[in-house]
Parts: sequence; structure tokens; C-alpha cells
Amino acid sequence: MRGIRILERILGAIPIMLGVCIVVFLFMRLIPGDPVDIMIGEGSNVTQADIDSLKAQFNLDQPVHIQLLSYLSRVLRGDLGYSISRADNVSKLILQALPATVELAIAAMFFALLIGIPVGVLSAVKHNSAMDRASTAGAFLGISVPAFWLGIVLIIIFSVNLGILPTSGRADYGFTPPKRTGLYVLDSVLAWDLAALKNSLEHLILPAVALGAAPAAVITRVVRSSMLEVLQKDYVMFARAKGVPEHLVIVKHALRNALIPTVTVAGLETGTLLGGNMIVETIFSWPGMGRLVVDGIFSRDYSLVQGAVMVYALTFVLMNLTSDILYTYLNPKISMEKGS
Amino acid sequence: MLYKKRRATYLAAMFLVLTLLLVAGCGTKEAKEKRPTLSIVIDTEANRKDEAEAVAADLRKIGINAEVRVWEWSAMKEQLLQGSRQMYLTDWGSSYFDPFDLVIPKLTTNGRGNYSFYSNPKLDQVLQQATAATDEATREDLYRQAQAIIYEDAPWVFGYYLKEIGAASSQVENWHISMDSRINLHDVRLKDGDTLVVGLGTDKIVTLDPGNYRDRDTETVIRNIFDALVTRTWDGKIVPEIAESWETPDPTTYIFKIRHGVKFHDGHLLNADDVLFTFQRILSENGISGKTSPRKDLLGPVERVEKLDDYTVKFTLKNPFPVFTQALAHFQIVPEHYIKQVGDDKFAEKPIGTGPFKFKEGNLSDQVALERFDDYYGGSPDLPPVGPAPVKTAIFRMMPDPATRVSSLKAGEVHIIDKLPPDMAKSLASDPNVVVQSVPGTRVYGIELNNKKPPFDDVRVRKALNYAIDWDTILNSIYGDNAGRLATVFLPSGFGFDENLRPYEYNPEKAIALLKEAGIEAKVPSK
Repeated sequence: MRGIRILERILGAIPIMLGVCIVVFLFMRLIPGDPVDIMIGEGSNVTQADIDSLKAQFNLDQPVHIQLLSYLSRVLRGDLGYSISRADNVSKLILQALPATVELAIAAMFFALLIGIPVGVLSAVKHNSAMDRASTAGAFLGISVPAFWLGIVLIIIFSVNLGILPTSGRADYGFTPPKRTGLYVLDSVLAWDLAALKNSLEHLILPAVALGAAPAAVITRVVRSSMLEVLQKDYVMFARAKGVPEHLVIVKHALRNALIPTVTVAGLETGTLLGGNMIVETIFSWPGMGRLVVDGIFSRDYSLVQGAVMVYALTFVLMNLTSDILYTYLNPKISMEKGS
Repeated sequence: MLYKKRRATYLAAMFLVLTLLLVAGCGTKEAKEKRPTLSIVIDTEANRKDEAEAVAADLRKIGINAEVRVWEWSAMKEQLLQGSRQMYLTDWGSSYFDPFDLVIPKLTTNGRGNYSFYSNPKLDQVLQQATAATDEATREDLYRQAQAIIYEDAPWVFGYYLKEIGAASSQVENWHISMDSRINLHDVRLKDGDTLVVGLGTDKIVTLDPGNYRDRDTETVIRNIFDALVTRTWDGKIVPEIAESWETPDPTTYIFKIRHGVKFHDGHLLNADDVLFTFQRILSENGISGKTSPRKDLLGPVERVEKLDDYTVKFTLKNPFPVFTQALAHFQIVPEHYIKQVGDDKFAEKPIGTGPFKFKEGNLSDQVALERFDDYYGGSPDLPPVGPAPVKTAIFRMMPDPATRVSSLKAGEVHIIDKLPPDMAKSLASDPNVVVQSVPGTRVYGIELNNKKPPFDDVRVRKALNYAIDWDTILNSIYGDNAGRLATVFLPSGFGFDENLRPYEYNPEKAIALLKEAGIEAKVPSK
């Protein structure tokens, strides 16, 4: 039954994707600017004929609705088009940038959960203690500190002054693992290349911390408040009365129930992280989706932006679905049945 | 009770605010009578907002009501091309070290970059003569005439050029920052080690196919893998590279003798066929995997390219094009046999050239690694040392953030960085492990005025604005000593620059007088 529901949800994503596709297509054409003009830049010998011929080459001389139809028919055939600003196929560019973003998003989320859950639980258990106050202050700091500032500070401390971590990039030359998934950490494990694994992990730490700081703060707050709520519940009191050791009460009885809102938040945050973060990617010279899209917008690279936004939409749909499925495991009372 | 008390306080506060507003309103009414007759909106992109604000402040000092509006470039360009804007901060670069690709598009009638709608038939004529003239002295003289006309007409508020700043680790020897922003790694040595890393200030390079790009960052990497018929010294002089020599029997014919023994990275010898193929690929419609090269127009009036023998090539132009050899430095020779065998797409993925470095591996938005080509013919004899590169591995890393480039240079991860912002250059210069270099850039920064519409259809108003702005103070506070004033739109790095022409001085009194002459209310600056 669950399998059918999941399939239904996936099929339900198709109209969403189509809508996103059309909206982005139209919006890109509404903003001022002309991709061919931007590509030619300051060329001075350019004649109108040259510009017209380039426009025709990229199908930009057609009326918008014809362009949209031909774009949709190509997308259905799996062709996301040609990027004017990068002289390559959009699908190839996305497949190149996406693994970098996914790897960084996973690392940042891992960092956020690693910090957020224990700190959140501890401050709930030691409610109103000094530790609780410190974590609250830390969470505020984590949310309010801008990523570009944190990133630069981390680079100055750990790369320039201490010299223990690299400033930027995904891996040094010569340490790139053979490509299988495009996730360097996973690829180096698959190839069992420990030097490459060490190198790519070192490169991953600072950007993951810079990117994960804000979600870590959010998760800390959510875990803390839901733990506080759950710890008041009768079944926790009952467990304590039964004589269950305190750590088991907290981990088994309380935390498991407190995690449900956390999963929602973590799912949404992961969706956002998977969109790529232009600022963190720029600071750490990380060749991900954020930079690809922002650069694409500035160059009015229609196909590139459309393709990338479709990938975002798909990611969000899949992330929502994943957290819905996770719910059903965490709390059997919630099911994916309709009307529940 | 407490609630009522509060309400009373609120009412009192509201009354106070209303009274203040009323008073302020009367104030504006009073000011209206004396209001300056000139109101200007200054349009700019975000990166020059501070400068625009300073300019607006200077204009307000002489009674002009000036405001700044910040735009994204494409949006602003669309508006100003419609002629609906008044005054806008713009910039334009020159690649050929000649007014040809700067003053002609910017200031000839209907020029491609003429956003000020300026038109003076006399200037058009002088510039056209200069483009067609083949004798250097004549061209220089014509360009001087052009500068005098432009200076007098003041179609813009003339601005400045910036220095290009780069930095290298003190480990690096024989590195020069170059005027065409090329980073030439052939001549560079490392004191210790043989792997050199360059941090390029860009998000990406576009391609590794020399026929398929328009930007300088891409060219920087490509020119280390490929060589051209000619090249440029770091201070902008054209010297032979793959060509041994050339002659111009008449202004529209160029005959190049090609060097013997130049090898592609696969060992294949380069000859006239490769040169022919390179240019035909760019000139022909749909020449590169079904698309026309975006570089086609850069070749100007080239009509045909012919092979005279295996090592001689002849170019025929439709009309004289004095910057032709300057242009050729940007056209790298590609291998005919290899492209015909693997196709354009595979060639862009695994390029083969005749340059000092072979392509090894790379992701164009991450890093591109090159290895020394041991069979290199040596490069231009005018750019010693001649021979294979001293550096064994060269890596270009795309590092869009300047703070990261500086940190990486300090941490010793990269050896050379480009596009250093002036404020960072200053603090970096005190680092004993770093060498900072600068060179006059090839972009003109200015403020264009809409010459078609009042008030800037009046030359007196345009001149007044040129006198009204205290550029020296503005530039010094924003760029330190990294900016140079310009008297017109001509650059000191370009051909025919007249250094005797002094930029408009800062003279608000003169500005006010000119405005009054034009019938515009202005006031004495308040000290």
C-alpha cells in the first residue's frame, strides 16, 4: 500500500514540475536583458546581421509561445537545451554541479544534526541551566551570523593562521577520485583511495560548518522545544516511575517522539541546502548549483536557469516525500493514507 | 485607568508628529520657491554606488538636485538605450590597445556602445579617416584631433581608468602582470617546487576551444595551451609567435611566414593548413559543431585566408584595418587533423594546441590542470626565456571571491592571483611573502550623459558638470592611488593618446557660471 502511495506522490509531482517550468520560462523572458547581447559584450565590429544570426541559432528569434512549446517538447525528450554562457549542454553542466552541491548539503546537514540534536536535548534536560542559556545564545548567533562573514573568519583562522585546513576548492590536483557518483568522499571510499578521502574531507569541513551553522541553530531550537514538551508527557513520567534509567527515558521514550517536528524542519532545511548556496559556494570556490544558477541569471542564460530550477523543484518534491515517509517510521500513528 | 493614560500619551505623540509634519511641509514649500531648476537622477550599478553618491553630493553643492538610483546592468542598459535616462555610470573595455574598439563604438553616431546618443559628423569623419589610414603618423594626428573635438564637446562627464592589480607569492620569479590581463605561465619560475597554482577571479571559464568564447578569463587559460601567429609583450607590444615574420605589401594584404618545427601536443607538426583551418572555422557560418563562432566579428574585415605554400599564409581584408595584428594575438591556432578526427565537442573536452602546456584534466567551474609540453618550440623569441616552461604543472583554480584568493595566497595554496581590489592590495602589499604588481587597465570608466535630451543637449551644461565634480578627492578615497583621471575617452595605454590634454579641473565657480549661462539656477558652494 505504501508503495502505491509513494508512486502516486511521485506522479503528482509532474504537474508541479510542468507549472514550474512554464512559470520560470516566462519570468526569465520578462526580466530585461538579452543573452546574445550579453555574450557579445563589448564587441565593436558586430553588425545587426551577426546578432540576428546568433539569435536564430539559439532559437531566440521566435515568438515566445513557440519558444515555450519547442522548449517543452525538448524537455519531455530529456533535452534541457544548450547554455549560451557556458557553451555546453545544460544537462551536462547540471550533472557536473549537482554532486558538488549534494555533497556539501549532506555534510552541512550532518554537521547541523551532529550539533543540533545533542545540544537541543541537553538544554531541554537541563532546562534553564547555564548550559541551556549558552545554547540559546549560541543558536541566536548561529541564525544571525551571515554565512559570508562566518566563512571568511573560518578561512582566516583555520587556513591562514593555523594552516590546518585548505581555504577552498573540492580537492587538490592529483587527489580527485575516479568519477562514479561525483561525490568525492563517496567516490574515494568506493575506490578505496584513503589519501583522496582525507583530502576531500579536509576540503569539506569549513564550507560544511559555514553552511550548516544556521540549520544547526534552527534544529537546536526545535529539538529543545519539542523535548521540553515531550518530557512533560505522562508516558515519560510513567517510564521514570517504572524505574527505567534516565538516559533510556531520554533517548528511547522522549527523543524518539521529539524527533518528529525535527524531521520536518531538517527535511525543509535539506531542501534549501540542496538548492546550493551561492554565497558559501563563492567564498569556498565550490563549483556547485548556487553559482551556476546565479551566474546563469546574470548572463540571461535562459536554458541553464530553467533547467536548474526544474532540478530544484524536483529536489523539493523528493525531500518532502522523504520526510513524509520518515514520519511513518517514527510514528506509526501517522500514515500516508489519504485523509489521514 | 492605565489604558486611558496610555491613550492620552498616544494622542499627544500623534499630535506632535502631525505638527512636525506640518512644519516640515511648510519648510519644503518655502524651499520650493528657491528650488534649483535642475534635478538629475544618476543611474549606476551597485559596484559604483559610492562613487555615484559622491558625484551627487558634489552636484548638490552647486545647487543641482541629484539622486542616485542603483540598477542591475542589463535592466539599466535596456532603459538607457530607450533614451529615458539622464546620466549613467558606465564602463567600456578595449582589447586592441587602440581607440578602434573603444572610441568608435562609444562616440561615433549610432555606435554600438554609444549610450549617450552623442553625434558629431566632424568626429565621425576624423575617426573614419583614422581607421582607414595606414600611416602611423597620420593616424596619430587624426586621433589627436578627435580627442580635441571630444574634449570640447564634453559628451560625458569624463572619468578615469583603474589599474589592474595582481599579486604573487615571493616564491614566483619572472612574473609580470600584463596589460591585456593575460597570465603567461611559460616564463614563470618557482623558487621551490614545480607545481604552480593560479587563483583566477572568476566563476568559470567558458570553454577550452579557442574558437568558442568571448571573455578574458577563458582566454587566459587557453593562451597557455595554445599559441597564436603573434603575441603581445606584457606592456602591449605585438611580437611574432608561431609566425616567424610578416609583411604588408598593401594595407589590405598581410602575408605571414610560419615558423618551422612547431609541434602540437600529439607530436604533429603545425603548417599553413592548420592556420587556414583555424580561421576558416571561425569565419564560416555554423563552423563549430553546427554553430557560428562568437568570435567571428572580432576578425573585422577579413575577407579570405589563403595558403601560399606549406609555411606561408595570406590574409586579404575588405578594407584597411590597422589593428589587425593586435587582433591576431587573440586567435589561437588549432590542429586541423585532430579536430577533423574527433569533432568539435571532443576537442573542447580534450584540447590539443602548440602552447607551452598540455591540457591534463579539469572542470571549467572548479580547476583546470596543465602539464608542461617538453617538445615546445620555445615561444616568441621576443619574450625570453625561449624553451620549454620551467614549471612542470600549472593549475588554474576558479576563485570568484577576492577575500578567498588573498587568503589562499597567504596560506601558500596559490601562487598568483588576479583582480585584486585596491583596498586588499594595500594591506597585502605589507606582507613580506607577497609581491603586488599593477598596470594601467584597459577599461574606461565615466558618466555618460543623454546628449539628445535637455538639459544635456546643451554643451554648457555638460561642461559645467565636468567642472563640478571633484574627481581627485573621490577617486583617492575610493581607489587610493589605483585610478588615473582621463581628459576624454582615450586611454593612456592605447594608440594615439594625447598626454598634453589635461582633464577638466575641479572648479565649481566655473560650473555655476556655465549653468547660469545656460539659464539654469545654481548657487555658490557653501563652504
